[in-house]
Amino acid sequence: MKTQPDAPRPRIRVLPDHVANQIAAGEVVERPASVVKELVENALDAGASAVRVSIEQGGKGRIRVADDGCGMIREDLLVCLDRHATSKIRRAEDLRDIHTLGFRGEALPSIAAVSRMVIDTAPSNQATGSRLRVLAGRMQGVDDAPRRPGTTVDVRNLFLNTPVRARFLRAAGVETRAVSEVLHALALANLDTRFVFESNGRTVFDLAAGRELAARIGAIWKDADAAVLIPVATQRGGTRLFGVVQRPDRARPGFRRAHLFVNGRPFRDAGVLAAADRGYRTTVPDNTRPWLFLFLTVPGGQVDVNVHPGKAEVRFRQRGRIEDFVESSVRETLDGIESAATWGEPRPLHVVREGEGAGQGAKVAGDPGAASDEDADDDIAQINIFRARAAQAEDAAASEEVYMPRAPRPALLQIHNSFILAETRDGIIILDQHAAHERILYEEMLAGFEGAGSEGQRLLFPFTIRLTKPELEIVESVSETLARLGFELAPFGHEALLVQAVPSPHRYFDAEQCIREMVQELLHGSDLTRSANNQNERVAMSFACKGAIKAGQKLAQEEMHELFDQLFATELPYHDIHGRPTVVRLGLGELRRKFGRS
Amino acid sequence: MRLTITRQNLQRGLAAVSASIPGKTTLPVLSNVLIESEDNSVWISGTDLDVSIRVRVPAEVTQGGAITAPGRKLLALTRELPDQPVELRGRGHQLEIGCGNSRIKLNGLPSEEFPNVPAMDFEEGWSVSEASLRQVIRGTAFAVSTEESRPILNGVYWEIGDRMTMVATNGHRLAKMEVAAVGTGGAAGASGAFIVPPAALAQVERLFDGDGEIEVGRGGNHLGFRSTNQEVYTRLIEGSYPNYEQVIPKDNDKVARVDKEAMEAAVRRMAVLASDQTHRIRMSFEPDRVHLDVMTPDLGEAHDELELDYEGEALRIGFNANYLIEVLRNMPAGDVKVAFKTAERAATVVPAESELDYLCLVMPLRLVD
Repeated sequence: MKTQPDAPRPRIRVLPDHVANQIAAGEVVERPASVVKELVENALDAGASAVRVSIEQGGKGRIRVADDGCGMIREDLLVCLDRHATSKIRRAEDLRDIHTLGFRGEALPSIAAVSRMVIDTAPSNQATGSRLRVLAGRMQGVDDAPRRPGTTVDVRNLFLNTPVRARFLRAAGVETRAVSEVLHALALANLDTRFVFESNGRTVFDLAAGRELAARIGAIWKDADAAVLIPVATQRGGTRLFGVVQRPDRARPGFRRAHLFVNGRPFRDAGVLAAADRGYRTTVPDNTRPWLFLFLTVPGGQVDVNVHPGKAEVRFRQRGRIEDFVESSVRETLDGIESAATWGEPRPLHVVREGEGAGQGAKVAGDPGAASDEDADDDIAQINIFRARAAQAEDAAASEEVYMPRAPRPALLQIHNSFILAETRDGIIILDQHAAHERILYEEMLAGFEGAGSEGQRLLFPFTIRLTKPELEIVESVSETLARLGFELAPFGHEALLVQAVPSPHRYFDAEQCIREMVQELLHGSDLTRSANNQNERVAMSFACKGAIKAGQKLAQEEMHELFDQLFATELPYHDIHGRPTVVRLGLGELRRKFGRS
Repeated sequence: MRLTITRQNLQRGLAAVSASIPGKTTLPVLSNVLIESEDNSVWISGTDLDVSIRVRVPAEVTQGGAITAPGRKLLALTRELPDQPVELRGRGHQLEIGCGNSRIKLNGLPSEEFPNVPAMDFEEGWSVSEASLRQVIRGTAFAVSTEESRPILNGVYWEIGDRMTMVATNGHRLAKMEVAAVGTGGAAGASGAFIVPPAALAQVERLFDGDGEIEVGRGGNHLGFRSTNQEVYTRLIEGSYPNYEQVIPKDNDKVARVDKEAMEAAVRRMAVLASDQTHRIRMSFEPDRVHLDVMTPDLGEAHDELELDYEGEALRIGFNANYLIEVLRNMPAGDVKVAFKTAERAATVVPAESELDYLCLVMPLRLVD
């Protein structure tokens, strides 16, 4: 029990700076990884072309971030530890249009408040630099120190004066991994900068400055080549999306790598990730989570990055539009031939980003140096995202032509009554007739749902199907949807279904078998039906799967051509609805290699 | 075997049987044709085991015998020979061909390896005129089903007795024609009913192109057609054909009378714009006029109108345009009567004036709006 004072005294006091900074440190500086993030962002804002990060004991012992950026003159150095001291913004209006990674002026004083910090810095036009020593937020002295232009911040004994916080730190290995992850995101966003990361004197990675996103991804993760990433590049108004996503046939369930950036700034956002996943719907099995590396560029006023001191989250002014844009961009990408499965190992991808920040421009390009002449054909064609519109249209036309069978009407070869082989300009493609027809039917049925539905052919010889009670009930529960697919079904006694009209998806359609299989699938469920969002989708998927041309069905030339035409008129021609490919490409380059002709 | 034959006769015989030579086969002898000599003639046979064709052409036989030789090669060769008498000579399993200065040896197979034609009982059979058989085949065989789940419907149903009736359907449309079976012979009065593969009927229609009589005989699960110089044998489809009489509506009271050419032309125009999948078009009948409409998302729409005789109530009905086109194409020239009961029931099409006992039936598409 506290004793009550005799007379009321003022209780509220303004905290001294070093205490305020310690409190702020609690928000900004959570663990070594957040220190690294703040310091590296400062280095990048200073225009560094190389950043070297060294840590000891997961950063608990020491964190050192050295850059070759613009450095500071001594006057700046002396004020940089004051709270809200920043070179990055000047007025409140600047907050609406932020081009730098930091701007709060909180990071350095916050870190300094809870550690022993030494800053060495030299501006590019001066011969000598300065060294500032700080202990737990209190300046210890400033000396001359020789240094090449740039800044080094050396942080030791993190949380030396906040032992509770220090106790919450995890094992050195865990903290090292967290630092690593922070650096991965920054390295992906800043391709022009060399990143070196050392832990306990050992080099963890050394990422050369370059212009290729795919190369950097490959340099960071050894499994990236096998993951097979395809480029995304879309634009809607002032909003652009650039990056790479995983080719659907390579996506696997379980762990994935997903990194999102907005205006060059890494951020986390479950909504945007979910939107990208929606773009993948039906092209990958339901439990599969493809890799995503997406760089959004939105006009400055459209995104608020000032939500959280760590800036891990951002707020979009029109979230719905952004998510919609991401979803349709991914879907558009999956409409392209690059998203089709290939025969054998795919060629390495070259995705290049040009310019300084993400706002400056982006580019996807084949690397003419790396690909020898005969390989060029199955490499990604050179595409400039921000090329003039006319050129884009031309490109689209050209790529369409490449992958459609050669005109006029080449002979198509049906193999084992299941696959159709066609010559294309750059090799051959093999089409799975069932998978292809599934995709065609599925999109047709969905389009039918948008309108009045699909027609059913009335039968001259209506027939009955004996079903069990639960089977009849499931038919009853989806009867309206079935009617819109073109089925006219009515109960016939207690144990049978009278079929009076059926859709006719193709000449070889066996309505009775299709109905039986659909009833089984809808009754017991399947991976396919579980991936559906609603009843219409579920029934349409089941119908597409059971009603499509079967493997083993011999087809006439004309029918094969029709299948090709219809498939390439769909939205996602390269993927069936189970998340399997509809076509596999075999490029001339690969053929030549197989025959040892390269 | 040794004989002399004109190049034209040899080519004619080979061309006639070539349709029955399978393209791919696991039984090598089926790629061959069988050549058998008879008095002053030679029989040439080919088979794919489902349909067998035998054709007789005149030849000067000096030594009787039989041999098989690769059918397509022999036909190709015959086309290239000069127009001079061709000498064929079997030497072991080799066929020697001499013509002008050309000497060719083709490796064959022993004639014993060639499948026998199934035994037929033509005595207990029927006799029909080539012309009427051709007519019923043309009028009906187009309507067979291509879908394999009901093999019965993959065949043409043929009833023969005093008259003969052919019926074909795929469950969506049906064609039926009945003619007098001119000169029914054999066991007089006996009637028969068969389900015949359309491929065999196509050969019958092609080969029996004169105006003579064809003998029809049955042997087990096979049916045979023969005239003096040509024979076609086919396996039959087993099973019982659905009761087609039951599904032919007798009470279609809304009748439109229209020129079949005009109607077919209008439907063809609509069909171009119809969906590849359903081929759906709509027809709206009103007194003395029919409107045809088609609307396909992403493609476009079309409208057409025809004047016709129609006095029934207004009726809107949807059809698969392809079914209508096939039916109208096979109707004899002149007017046809198209009759309906309701938009859900079968529509019938019959010639308006012709004596021909011919009826086609088309099930409508269920309209969704």
